[in-house]
Amino acid sequence: MSHLDEGTLHALLDGELELSEVKEIQTHLGICAACDSRLQDVKQFLAEADRLVGALEAPVGSSRIRPGPAPRLDAPVVPRDPPPWESAPEILLPETVEKAPGRHAIRIFRWAAVILVVIGGGRLIQGALRPGKPRLELSARDLTRPTTPAVVSQQESGRPESAVTRQTRSAPAARTPLAKAAPERKAAADQPAPAAVAGLDELDTVGAAAKDSEVAPQDTQTLATGRADSGAEQTTEGQDLATRAAAAAALEELDRERLRSRANAATASLPPPRAELPAAAEPAAAPRTLEQRAQVYLRIGLDEAVTQLGRPVHVIEALSPEFIGLTPGRLVPGADPNRPVVRVVYLERGRMIMLDQQRLRTGQAPGAAAGSLRWTQGDVMLYLHGEPSADVLRNLQRRVR
Amino acid sequence: MTADLTQLFELYYESLVRMLYRRTGDRDRAEDLAQETFARAVAAPPNNPRPWLFAVALNLVREDGRRAVRQGRRLELLRNDDRPPQGPEVDLERNERSAAVRSALATLGERDREALLLKAEGFNYEEIAATLGLSKGAVGTTLARARRRLVEAYRSEARGKHVAS
Repeated sequence: MSHLDEGTLHALLDGELELSEVKEIQTHLGICAACDSRLQDVKQFLAEADRLVGALEAPVGSSRIRPGPAPRLDAPVVPRDPPPWESAPEILLPETVEKAPGRHAIRIFRWAAVILVVIGGGRLIQGALRPGKPRLELSARDLTRPTTPAVVSQQESGRPESAVTRQTRSAPAARTPLAKAAPERKAAADQPAPAAVAGLDELDTVGAAAKDSEVAPQDTQTLATGRADSGAEQTTEGQDLATRAAAAAALEELDRERLRSRANAATASLPPPRAELPAAAEPAAAPRTLEQRAQVYLRIGLDEAVTQLGRPVHVIEALSPEFIGLTPGRLVPGADPNRPVVRVVYLERGRMIMLDQQRLRTGQAPGAAAGSLRWTQGDVMLYLHGEPSADVLRNLQRRVR
Repeated sequence: MTADLTQLFELYYESLVRMLYRRTGDRDRAEDLAQETFARAVAAPPNNPRPWLFAVALNLVREDGRRAVRQGRRLELLRNDDRPPQGPEVDLERNERSAAVRSALATLGERDREALLLKAEGFNYEEIAATLGLSKGAVGTTLARARRRLVEAYRSEARGKHVAS
């Protein structure tokens, strides 16, 4: 046999030769190194040419819009920097402080405390000025009795003892400059009732303490205590106690309000409570490969398929196979279970179509029936099956070549 | 008749447009020519539809090409194709490669090119022969020549670009 021409080699690789021709060529290739080498070259050219033609894919959509630089919708929009004369001058405004939600309530409590102190102080003054009324005596027990609740929580202050108790014991040492300055301010004021002056001064002090409490709770405590102590120097101890109690109540409310504000602020950034999640979704199954879907255990080339069948592979006209592979014969009805079946796999609009082929041996009867999707052609059994409906498959059956 | 044509359309339209796009490089032209082909199929229903449709389509391409030459349209198309592609790098590479392949394809003879495009659409030798009016025995040789020239032209163009850059 003379050397093989290139056209024959292409026809061989395209599966266009008859079985007898294939056998003859294979015999020649076994003994002719030159032709075998050319076959390898032809394989490369064929594969590369197919790849190049395949690269000429039509663009998605109509080309009436040139496939040029279409603006991407998902691309970030880069704002154009306007020239300086186009942009309006920036107006510098003082930074607005957002009012805390609890600020209003604190103010209300502050005023409530002021009113309480005024009323209480006024009654005490009335009692003191009334003739025959015995003076209010305060014992040491009264001073140490925890009649007022803690102004600052123990958790906050880190001190275990009661705030009032602490204030009572350490009042002289806790005077602040503000507390020290209070007597001078009172002396400068020309008021007919010193006790009332003291009461008002106390209100002022409590208000100031309440204002400062948001910044430094401990200082607030000290201020209130110091101021109350200075007031006690000028008025009766009973007035001092009442004033202190009122101030402590007001500050306690402030303290609670502050804790609520903190709790709100701390939980504001948390995500809203999640609804009960449904049962945990099963992990997504790993996508199956085409080979797995087609139950192909070995992918083979056209040459191997031709060798298996002993003749050109049957294909469906106008469809391009995804791949050719081998599947166990036991999986194909009518096939010899002891030999593999050549399976040509197509993917048409995502649906898998398989054309099974097995060369029949003497005495093998595939049991093909007329109109069935399993039939014989020459000495090859064919079986067309897959995901499309039977009608579609029957239409395709007519195109099997 | 209508059902047959609908079936033909479903079976072959996509493949026909793809082949025509590869042949012309213009999606609009490809679609117009495919529709013209099917319009002719309505007028004269073919017996062997697939080779007939592709043969008519290729004839229309040739006629359209000649008309385009007369009108200077091809120059315009080439000029458009030579515009520097813009956009993402991936598109740039793809466009450059497509242009190189199309350029290599243009170096082939008419028949070689058509045989190659028909083969890419899954035509067997017998159908290619029927479509192009060749003998079946000549199809292998035609395809061998077409493939070799396409690859060599593409490689040559790639080398030229590499040297130029």
